[in-house]
Amino acid sequence: MKRTVSLLFIAALAALLLYVVANMPPMGDPANPTATHVIPRYLENAEEETHTENVITGIILNYRGYDTMGEVTVIFCALAAVLAVLGRERRGAIEGFVDRSEVVSSTIVRTMVRFMVPFILLFSLYTIFHGESSPGGGFQGGAIIGGSMIVFTTIFGLAESSRRVPQRIRAALEGAAVMGFFLVGALGLLGGGEFLTYAWPKVAPGLQPSLVVWLTILVEVGIGLGGAMVLTSILFAMIREEEIATAS
Amino acid sequence: MGTALNLALIVLLLTTAILAVTARDLLAAVIIFSVYSLIMALMWQRLQAPDLALTEAAVGAGVTTVLFVVTIFKTRRREEE
Amino acid sequence: MRLLHNYHYVAAMVLFCIGLYTVIVRRNIVKKLIGLNIMETSVFFFFISLGYLDGGMAPIRVGKADPSRMVNPLPQALILTGIVVAVSVTALALSLVILLYRQYGTLDVDRLMREEEQSETAEREERG
Repeated sequence: MKRTVSLLFIAALAALLLYVVANMPPMGDPANPTATHVIPRYLENAEEETHTENVITGIILNYRGYDTMGEVTVIFCALAAVLAVLGRERRGAIEGFVDRSEVVSSTIVRTMVRFMVPFILLFSLYTIFHGESSPGGGFQGGAIIGGSMIVFTTIFGLAESSRRVPQRIRAALEGAAVMGFFLVGALGLLGGGEFLTYAWPKVAPGLQPSLVVWLTILVEVGIGLGGAMVLTSILFAMIREEEIATAS
Repeated sequence: MGTALNLALIVLLLTTAILAVTARDLLAAVIIFSVYSLIMALMWQRLQAPDLALTEAAVGAGVTTVLFVVTIFKTRRREEE
Repeated sequence: MRLLHNYHYVAAMVLFCIGLYTVIVRRNIVKKLIGLNIMETSVFFFFISLGYLDGGMAPIRVGKADPSRMVNPLPQALILTGIVVAVSVTALALSLVILLYRQYGTLDVDRLMREEEQSETAEREERG
């Protein structure tokens, strides 16, 4: 009964959606309203105004800085909520708890992982640092670092990988990333410009383009390292066993 | 040629989505979902969104899948009747 | 026929319905979350298709790239933010799933509701 009603509802919704789609302008047409209003301005002026060749990076870290501020706040809040739900990591407690993830893997796997992880990290750094001129950027690089941490943790176990990236380093980097983002963003406001637009008309009219590029890269690095640490902390919090609470 | 490739990718997307939703084994469902994410990343590259393709490949196929797998190991693998 | 030309949009809508079906009908919470993720990606897919331009290139101004031949960068920037929010939501939801399983030992929504009702009635009887 419940199933039939749900199916009927979804069928009605699908019919409505398809009706709307059938009346939309053809996809890919240059005369579409999506392609004629705000976009030409972004595409024409992004390079001069934001000094980034990748227009998407320009939009994320310049035109729409408030959106990105919300994004950074959201991942930070998600980490805080996950830690609140699953229990916080106590300093130095990491050796104490049961680590069921410690499966002895073969020498081949361990050697391969030890060989591969540095290259994955190198690629993530490339992604972060070239975010303003090629596909990639802070969060993508951060996710790749997180991916390398996942590979390392699956093979070497939680105890080993949390010894490599201890909790105090993660906490410091997470906090520093969010604070740094807000500070660089607010510098724009204090300088008489807009949030996160590295143009400071009151203090330094006509800021050097190279300085703007370096500030953009700095923000990217902050988001990248912060995002990587948040993903790692979420992963560790989910792997950890609840036995710590009873053991202490 | 381009249209055929896009259509093939869309057929694969729909197939993997239906398989991920119908699989009884949760671990199988999650792995199929990671394949779905990877095909979505290819699709975004086809739509000229390389930034998103990179993000989806790293986040959707990597991090999200691992979080799901960890959850399944901590709970149960089979769906209850 | 417009629907045939806009097959990307149609695919996105069908994916959305598959995800919604899973979220409503499936009783297992992890399945519901997979459905939610499919819904999210379908909406992202729809947005990116909206910004596509026939024969367009990625919005990266390298060399002699012509800005009028580039695809729309705005949906891409918005969806980049959306993906990050999606993974945050998934991580939080999964940690809640782990907590629920620790507490009730089941992932089935109907059973969870029954357990919750039983514990509520037990509490009421204790008090009254």
